[in-house]
Amino acid sequence: MKIGIPKGLLYYKYHPFFMTFFTELGAETIVSEDTNKSILDLGVKHCVDEACMPVKVFHGHVASLRDKCDAILIPRIMQIRKREYICPKFCGLPEMVVYNIPDLPAVISEPIYATDDKRLYEWAKEAGRLVTRDRNTIRRAFEKAVSVQNEYDIGINTLSYEMKVALAGHPYNIYDSYSNMNIVRKLNALGIGIITEEFVDEEEVDSEVGKLFKRPFWTFARNTYGFLATAYEKKLCDGVIYISSFACGIDSVLIELVKERIGDFPFMVLKIDEHTGEAGVNTRIEAFVDMLERRKTYEDNVPSYGQCVPCSQGSF
Amino acid sequence: MKITFPHMGNVYLAVKALFDGLGIEYVIPPKNSKKTLEIGSLHSPEEICLPYKIMIGNYVQAAEMGADTVLLTGSCGPCRFGEYCEMQMNLLNKLGHDFKFIVIDAPGDIGVSELFNRIAEISTKSRMSKHKKLQCVKYALDVINLTDKLDAKAHWLAGYERKREECKKLLHASKRDAARCSNPKEMIKLLKDYEKKFDNVELDLDKDPVKIAIIGEIYTVIEPFSNLYIEDKLMSYGVSTRRELTPSWWVKNMVMSPTRLNSLDLKRHSKEYLRLEIGGHARECIGEAVMAYEDGLDGAIQIFPMGCMPEIVSKAILPRISKDKNFPIMTLVVDEMTGEAGYVTRIEAFLDLLERRKEHVLSGS
Repeated sequence: MKIGIPKGLLYYKYHPFFMTFFTELGAETIVSEDTNKSILDLGVKHCVDEACMPVKVFHGHVASLRDKCDAILIPRIMQIRKREYICPKFCGLPEMVVYNIPDLPAVISEPIYATDDKRLYEWAKEAGRLVTRDRNTIRRAFEKAVSVQNEYDIGINTLSYEMKVALAGHPYNIYDSYSNMNIVRKLNALGIGIITEEFVDEEEVDSEVGKLFKRPFWTFARNTYGFLATAYEKKLCDGVIYISSFACGIDSVLIELVKERIGDFPFMVLKIDEHTGEAGVNTRIEAFVDMLERRKTYEDNVPSYGQCVPCSQGSF
Repeated sequence: MKITFPHMGNVYLAVKALFDGLGIEYVIPPKNSKKTLEIGSLHSPEEICLPYKIMIGNYVQAAEMGADTVLLTGSCGPCRFGEYCEMQMNLLNKLGHDFKFIVIDAPGDIGVSELFNRIAEISTKSRMSKHKKLQCVKYALDVINLTDKLDAKAHWLAGYERKREECKKLLHASKRDAARCSNPKEMIKLLKDYEKKFDNVELDLDKDPVKIAIIGEIYTVIEPFSNLYIEDKLMSYGVSTRRELTPSWWVKNMVMSPTRLNSLDLKRHSKEYLRLEIGGHARECIGEAVMAYEDGLDGAIQIFPMGCMPEIVSKAILPRISKDKNFPIMTLVVDEMTGEAGYVTRIEAFLDLLERRKEHVLSGS
């Protein structure tokens, strides 16, 4: 049995779990290639127009796998933390894919509630049944997969550069280097280090999030807000670059909350969609880096005409 | 304390009845207009959905009329609406309006006692006895049920009326008059009278009008301004329309949801295509589309604001329903940039298509 695993959305965060689980069950796994032009084109072709780019890219990955395997994993991730959600599109992802891409093989689309091991095992039982009927094998594979996932560290924290930006956004925007046009390498080439949300303690995130009037009910929003607020408070970085997909509902809220929290701290939102031109992105990154450097070297916070202009008023 | 609240279809009539009854001061923001939307989109973040922008317009206009407190419902679903309160508070603060927000949120999230505290902030402003207060709530529910009933009647009968636009005129008159009432009992009586008047509308039951279901995101289907008065337009064309999502449905659904016995028919019909709750009203949208087909309607129009997350999922599923069941469904996406001419052209083209399908037996095969 060959199981296809699309390299899109939260694959970047949870692939050790899925890979180990299916390999341990005795299935062969095949992962789609890194995102590239033809995958993006396939995705745009099959996906509903209004969806955001990461969802389109995911469609492309599924479409590229359809003739290569016996079953495709489409993780319907409902919850990762208690009383929090991911995004409505994740909950309806299998439907979006199945009804729009013709001639798909079998699909593994049981809902995933990763709030604790017990609920997650419910998913494993259902998904594992496709490969083996032996309960014990499933149990063992599941436990191994969980332990591998727990040991897996993702996240970037470069120490060797003088300046650092906090790179925020949904994991698939940060780690899919095709979608974000290799922003990590671009920043490094300009002499800028990067820190991502994995390097902030949970307690700090909780305490920052607790200050909000309304508890954020999206896991992405909670993580990113907590990360940026802490990074700002503790001066972990010199500026923030936020990679956001065009028309992302969560980001439209989150960016406002973050702006409210960090005030005049340098903050740049990079919108990406399937039309994004690389030259424009380069220009914006370079301009942002120039600004950060100037702030560091000459900053007296007084512009030449003698009045402080905070970035919230659009001076950058 | 002067309470205001955002507009959403006929809800203002029910809230008016409630506060009139309780004797609490309130401000109904001016009816939604281009001006409202202009104010809203000027101040709101660019990528937020249309309801948010219209609501900001409502608050600012209400502030000009002296309002200082906003009453808003919340939610903790994966849909953006639940975050509105926090963002709107920040935004209005920045604009220099000193609003107090009373957010009626799900008790599961803020706790029952906090919910009662928040309700008490309003109810203690009224000097009436508890019994009387509850009666006022009952009146408000009656009003919302009656207005929804009138809406449904007018929209459905519009296809059968002998005199063009009679239903439409009657419906508008009912709302105009209801808004003038100064106490809830009077309003209920008036609405009941209008209900009878609808029974006297001359009908041609031999007609076979085009029948359409309006489905989609709850705010944009209920608030006529946000969907460019699509139901009024369809009434003028002599088309019968039906819509399941109404304020009274919302109230019933919310009250029933802890028992999981809410909207069973919608759940049953959506099962084939979307078996899980994914937030917003995506599942209801799918259920309504299937139901509309089974009830023999001719087509469905889905409306949602640009960027609405749950409805994007349902939009991805609807073409399959349309194909499986040979049932035309059109999607209209609205935002502050929607141009009326293009919008009308699409509606008319869709109606032409439905009409032709009715006339030619061979259609669609």
